[in-house]
Amino acid sequence: MSITTELGRTGHQPPIAALYNRHIAPRARGARLKYYILVAPALLLSLSVVLVPAVLTAVAAFTDWNGVAASASWIGLDNFSSIFADGVFWTALANNIRWMVLFLTIPMAIGLGAAMLLLRRPRSRTGYQLIFLIPYVLAAITNALVWLNIMYSPIAGLVGFLRKQGINAPAPLANLQTALYAVAAVDMWHFWGFLTVVYLASLRQTPVDHIEAAHIEGASGMQLFRYVYFPSIRPTLQLMFVMITIFSFLSYDYVKLLTGGGPAHSTEVLSTYAYTFAFSTFQFGKAAAVGLIMSLFGLLPAILYTWLSRRDLQA
Amino acid sequence: MLDHGRRFLTPLLLVLGLLTIAPAAVTAAPTAASRQPLSMWFWGAPPDHQMTMKRVLVDGFNASQDTYALQVEFRNSVDSDIQVALAANQGPDIVYGSGPAFVAPYAASSKLVSMDAYSQKYGWKDRILDPIYQSGTVGGKLYALPNSLNTLGIFYNKAVLRKYGSDVPKTIEDLEATMDKVKADGLYPSVTGNKGWRPVNENYASIFLTHMAGPQTVYGALTGKVPWTSPEIQAAVEKSADWYQKGYLGGSDYVNLNFADSMQLLADGKSPFFIGPTLAFQFATDFFNKDKGNVDDLGYTSFPTIGTGLASPLYTLGTTASLSINANSSNQDGAAQVIDYMMSQMFLENMTATWPGYWGVPLKSIDIDPSKYEGLSREYVIAISDMIKGVNGGNFGYFTATFFPPATQQEFINIDTVWEGTSSASDFLTRVDQTFKVELEKNMVPPIPAPKL
Repeated sequence: MSITTELGRTGHQPPIAALYNRHIAPRARGARLKYYILVAPALLLSLSVVLVPAVLTAVAAFTDWNGVAASASWIGLDNFSSIFADGVFWTALANNIRWMVLFLTIPMAIGLGAAMLLLRRPRSRTGYQLIFLIPYVLAAITNALVWLNIMYSPIAGLVGFLRKQGINAPAPLANLQTALYAVAAVDMWHFWGFLTVVYLASLRQTPVDHIEAAHIEGASGMQLFRYVYFPSIRPTLQLMFVMITIFSFLSYDYVKLLTGGGPAHSTEVLSTYAYTFAFSTFQFGKAAAVGLIMSLFGLLPAILYTWLSRRDLQA
Repeated sequence: MLDHGRRFLTPLLLVLGLLTIAPAAVTAAPTAASRQPLSMWFWGAPPDHQMTMKRVLVDGFNASQDTYALQVEFRNSVDSDIQVALAANQGPDIVYGSGPAFVAPYAASSKLVSMDAYSQKYGWKDRILDPIYQSGTVGGKLYALPNSLNTLGIFYNKAVLRKYGSDVPKTIEDLEATMDKVKADGLYPSVTGNKGWRPVNENYASIFLTHMAGPQTVYGALTGKVPWTSPEIQAAVEKSADWYQKGYLGGSDYVNLNFADSMQLLADGKSPFFIGPTLAFQFATDFFNKDKGNVDDLGYTSFPTIGTGLASPLYTLGTTASLSINANSSNQDGAAQVIDYMMSQMFLENMTATWPGYWGVPLKSIDIDPSKYEGLSREYVIAISDMIKGVNGGNFGYFTATFFPPATQQEFINIDTVWEGTSSASDFLTRVDQTFKVELEKNMVPPIPAPKL
């Protein structure tokens, strides 16, 4: 059966499609245009604040810009070859990878464990969350000074107290083997409370009827977690996995505040390595090159996350 | 109709309100607007030091003339703030920087004004110590004047030395013997550390370069005539590592102590010595003072020369900071006037009275009677006077933070790789040599004053 369109042509179109194309599609396109216009100010702001400096940084990575002069010379890949030939770069990269492994395991496990326990504390969980969040909301400088001068200090604080009791307590930041873990411990202490709150919110979204059904079926605690809670919070876990991976390659503040990358580069990370080039040696081009490398490591998990999310949507 | 009216009522009221406030805001502008503003950014000094600066510099300068109103901002991140501001052609009128190596790239990029004309007007060349004046030049033109001399020496606790029957050390052997004695008794051989500020390492690189490698060798290296891998320099780096590994630098707590902690331990009798820069006098005031009744327990002496063949005493020539004029300042004459105000004996005396350690103005001659000062200020004035005599006589070495180009300076901050055994002195200096050669080719080495040869 054919129908005649307004243009006098006949086509084999279902009636609904013709109605949609004639009456609804133009309005939908108009609505989309309105949405684009509404989003435009925020998008323009984001682009100008983020995209423009990002492009300039990417360009600077291929120049010998000193961060001060009005001009710079193009030097191609010289910054990158110089960085790759520097042992300190590989030390910093290895430290960032160690940092990532630490954060993907310890605070994730503590945060998830604490969230599971708080599930069973409907009345007191709010108070616990407040306490756990305190290190997260304090400024990094506050946390760092507490640990530097009170916990790790050999004069006062825990290390000093143990020494006064006759225990030869080592100073964790002074040892090349333990310094990175000592710094990471401070950042993990600051971060795990945030993970607890996020995981608890996600766990509470688990459909109650699934949980009840599992109880009726006689599921043990581990089975309940594995077959009911875990599938429910999987998207949150995925997101946190990706965010932690990205943040691990951007970590800076606690390293800078606690050790400055020392002793002897044992806590050097890519961000402190870049900072030294930018603000101490007037080699902004090299700093930009390190920044590009850091961005690459951040981009990979972001691409993975997008792929996984699309795959889940299609499923 | 009513809705239509209401829609315009709120904006109308807002506009009327703004129109009412605006004239009041304009007329509320302070009378200081009649003076031209001058700005300076300084590092984040402690509150009592900020008060001293406000009283002596800001209020003192403003009271001395009618044209300008000086304001000082205290910023913890002043170095990076300055870099970003100057790159954007903004920033304060008076540029506070870390020293000659910091100044050179800005001068080369026309971010700073040549001060030759002001030097002639105010007579700075005749007033300032020659090596210091020269260090502030780039391509023969003056771009910076350091605010204060800074050298390296030994702070000692007289009570602890008396307890162990030791004299003030005059030789390296005396110094090491006393440190061994107290170490055996559980004290720190000396207290110091780089907690929170890794560049503290530069003090201990510089002190051995001066007192062991010697001024002539380091001068040769800084002018490209002698390689950094020379045996004298390597021996100096190895000696610093030997000291670190023996615990002569803060025991095993070097990374857990800063200068304030160290001064506290020195005052508490936990060590006889703090080996470090004269700017540490500013930290000492909190722990050695009249209230604690120990102000006379602190002494200062120069670090001994190591080995034979070098002059004695020697002084590591350093400065705490540099003062320049922003090329984009609209009050360059005023900025120069402030700098001139700070390059005077009067300024040295007034600042040092309550803030010893940071204001040893690098004058060719000072006529100060130490007996006019009390406590630590007196010790500091004596230290600076002795240093000026030594520098005038050409007996000086080079502080890495003052005279080394930026990347080479950074390499010397990494001297802890040798101390911790992750790099040999030879490999470390090979890296230094390679880095220095690149900077020498790019003309990034500041003018190096020649010592007595």
